[in-house]
Amino acid sequence: MSVLTLFRRFRGSFRTDTFEHGMEAELRHHLEMEAEALVARGMTPEAARDTARRRFGSVALVKDDCRESWGMRAVDTVTQDVRFAIRNLRKYPSYTFVVLLTLALGIGANTAIFSVVHAVLLRPLPYANGDRLVEVRQLAPKAGIANAGVSVKEVADYREQTAALDAVVEYHQMSFNMLGRGEASRVQTGVVSTNFFDVLGVAPLLGRAFREDDDSKNAPAVLILSYAYWQNALGGDPNIIGRTFELNDRVHTVVGVLPPVPQFPAADPPDDVFMPPSACPFRSNPQTIANRTARMLTAIGRLKPGMTVERAQNDLAVVSNRLGAQYPEAYNPAQTGFTASAFSVHDELTRQARPTLLVLLATTGFVLLLVAANIANLSLARVIGRERELAMRNALGASRGRIARQLLTESTLLALAGGALGLLVGWLVRDLLVAFTARFTPRAGEIAIDGTVLAFTVGVSLLTGLLFGLLPAFTRRTIASVKDAGHRTVGSRLRARNALIVAQVAISFVLLVGAGLLVRSFIKLQQVDAGFRTDRVITALVSLDFVKYNKPELRRAFYRSVMDKVAAEPGLETVAFGITVPLDQAAPFLTGFLIDGQAPGDRRAQPQVDFKFASPNYFKTIGMTLLSGRAFTDADDADAPPVAIVNLSMARHNFPGVDPVGRRVSLDNGRTWITIVGVVNDTHDYGMAEKSTDELYRAFAQTGPLSASMLVRTAADPLAFARAIPAAVHAVDPRQPVSQIRTLEAIRSRSLAPPRLTAMLVTLFAGVALIITAAGIAGVVSFSVNQRTTEIGVRMALGAPRSSVTQMIVRQGLTPVAVGLTAGAVGALMMTRVVTRLLFAVEPTDPITYAAVIAVLTAVAAFACFVPARRAAAIDPMKALRAE
Amino acid sequence: MKHAKSDLLQGTLDLLILRILASGDMHGWGISQRLQQISQDVLQVNQGSLYPALYRLEQQGWIASSWGDSENNRRAKFYSLTRTGRKQLAEETANWERITAAVGRVLQHG
Repeated sequence: MSVLTLFRRFRGSFRTDTFEHGMEAELRHHLEMEAEALVARGMTPEAARDTARRRFGSVALVKDDCRESWGMRAVDTVTQDVRFAIRNLRKYPSYTFVVLLTLALGIGANTAIFSVVHAVLLRPLPYANGDRLVEVRQLAPKAGIANAGVSVKEVADYREQTAALDAVVEYHQMSFNMLGRGEASRVQTGVVSTNFFDVLGVAPLLGRAFREDDDSKNAPAVLILSYAYWQNALGGDPNIIGRTFELNDRVHTVVGVLPPVPQFPAADPPDDVFMPPSACPFRSNPQTIANRTARMLTAIGRLKPGMTVERAQNDLAVVSNRLGAQYPEAYNPAQTGFTASAFSVHDELTRQARPTLLVLLATTGFVLLLVAANIANLSLARVIGRERELAMRNALGASRGRIARQLLTESTLLALAGGALGLLVGWLVRDLLVAFTARFTPRAGEIAIDGTVLAFTVGVSLLTGLLFGLLPAFTRRTIASVKDAGHRTVGSRLRARNALIVAQVAISFVLLVGAGLLVRSFIKLQQVDAGFRTDRVITALVSLDFVKYNKPELRRAFYRSVMDKVAAEPGLETVAFGITVPLDQAAPFLTGFLIDGQAPGDRRAQPQVDFKFASPNYFKTIGMTLLSGRAFTDADDADAPPVAIVNLSMARHNFPGVDPVGRRVSLDNGRTWITIVGVVNDTHDYGMAEKSTDELYRAFAQTGPLSASMLVRTAADPLAFARAIPAAVHAVDPRQPVSQIRTLEAIRSRSLAPPRLTAMLVTLFAGVALIITAAGIAGVVSFSVNQRTTEIGVRMALGAPRSSVTQMIVRQGLTPVAVGLTAGAVGALMMTRVVTRLLFAVEPTDPITYAAVIAVLTAVAAFACFVPARRAAAIDPMKALRAE
Repeated sequence: MKHAKSDLLQGTLDLLILRILASGDMHGWGISQRLQQISQDVLQVNQGSLYPALYRLEQQGWIASSWGDSENNRRAKFYSLTRTGRKQLAEETANWERITAAVGRVLQHG
């Protein structure tokens, strides 16, 4: 095609009116000339005109062909098709409404879930070096330790010796009291290497990143704020750089603010501020730095360009082997299996979200398939209704291809409109989705409807349109003439519609099984005996300034005074202090211990226990049971011999068959010994789905932690104490902050939120699927009743009782349902792997769930058949026969 | 359906139009008259089917059109052969002769 031709076409498509006008004139001229010539040969003007027209042929067709020759046909017919389609759809408002509604739902759900999958699983991390970041982790598999932490010395070793990494930076999270904005507050603090943000590839939004010279005891103390903290706590103050805050008795100056990026390694709770290592009083302690086993850090490495995670894993294994040989007393590799490895940061950030998101993606995908099947079914019904119109258009010269295209235009138009509505739905639910996703991954904030999501939605819409448009367009081969229309093709149409019902039932089956499994799993999870009672308990975190309260005696006195003040409040049953609150921590704090009579050895090779503190009323307050021995008393103070209480798991694992009461254990390699005075029941402190850990509780009054959780059991509404607790703390010392005031029930509910929300979402989708399927079944059965009115009339005239007519219709309606149930069961069994990781105490092939789904689907389908069947039974045989 | 013209017929019609226009500019009706005259009514096609062919040839740049006055002072669209059209006619004619000669030989001796 030459440039000139292209230009003509281009011009032509914009000058449609001129073109049409010219063509009109030219053809008219031809007809007039011909007629004149005929008149000249003696015809009457009328006869001449007719003859001219006959000789010319169909003017409309010639025009069509001319347009095609001119190359405008494509443009022209699309507009024509679209106009025609809109006119048509407006003629069937209820059809259009149902189609658009279900499409908006199906496409909206897919858009929403895809936007999450895209943001969380598919997109690279929003750090410049996101795909090159690995976590360097030390493991001791033989001692059951998946993540041992890393010490300052070890970070340096890996930094210097790992060939595949061009940088290794450290991180650990602290919680400090901050003064300088109203009340004293507690800030989560990320303590990071000065080049931490450079290695991640995050440039500060305001100010600067840390510099090497910031990391010195003599340098002025500096802070970098997280975006969320800057926005929420400091109102996004644009002049924040240079503002000072007091932490750890030093004035810190804000030098930078981070952009809104997901936080890693710690996201829950997220860091509010960041400081270099020398500013952290614990990390900068010379003993911490010198001690190879003070593994308080997380190490992040950056792969050299072109290096793979596998290479880093190999290199780290080599380095850790070398370290094991060099410092056997620190690693004891023979007993612990000590090694180091690399884990992709991207995978770590999304590990928890992945199985849930994949289940939801599959769910919404199925819902959309079902929606497409349902619309195809509706369209088929409508095409049958339009058979005469289509046959007429065919007879009038519209080619089959043209009619198929017309039908596809309609479905594409509907799909795109549905897609636009779906996009709206996806946009409306964004905030909900972010809140939902935030429970699984710190990347939730990145969820957005961007170009990729938009392209996905358009693509899915078009595909859906094609799916439900193609079927009606291409099952209409058999139309031969106007006369036959509406009769000959009914059989094949009904078969097609039944096939769609099979598909819908099968998809619903799979979705219902998924929902059923998740719901049953969640019920099981709720029935788990946590080992403690959550009702009427309120908790709060009290954190002390470690400079002012630098001696354990001072801290103990402080806690004692606060406890006495709270205990004086009316409406209180018991008050206690613990180190943490059950279900509030993600992982136990494991430490090795010695049993009296065993030889001391490396701590990592020793049995592990999660150790906690508990004041005398702790077990009573949260409703735990003393199984043996005694509880702590006020007499167990710093002057008394150290005592501990263990839980049943700990007793069973370490003192099989004997009562551990009276035995002694050591947490410091035999330097001091603690006598076990009691055994309490097991609790699920780290998630209801998790196994109980071995626990050891020390007497709170014999320790003196810098922060502690207060637990109050109340007679009535626990929230009534939400003010009393901070008031009591501030009465003792107004400079000490109280935070995280929550009821234990709220904490439990929060810990159950992910499985609950997932089960709710999948159930919601499955419910919608069930309704759509029921409507589809009812539609097909009504259709067949309408088609068979005469036949039913004949049967009844020949003496068939009404009940047998009802039965016949229901039976025939249920046939595709039965096939669908079988196909669905097979499909569900094949899909179980997707959902397994989300289940708790329920097998993915759980027979109860399958039986329930079959019962529910059959009942709903039978009801859907029964309604039109009743109508069939009400047919008046005489009227039916006369109608033919 | 008239849409489905065989390629042969379409090609032939194009060739005839080019040939007729080679002897002078002409409007659509005139071309149809010439076609009938010369072919002595052997080529029985609807007069209308001439126009799509004219539009196609114009799109291909082999003929050009302009509006002018016809015999009885009517506005009519006149077609004329372009330079590339003339070349095309020569090629097509040679082609046609080769093919008809070949077909003729097959029919005689086949």
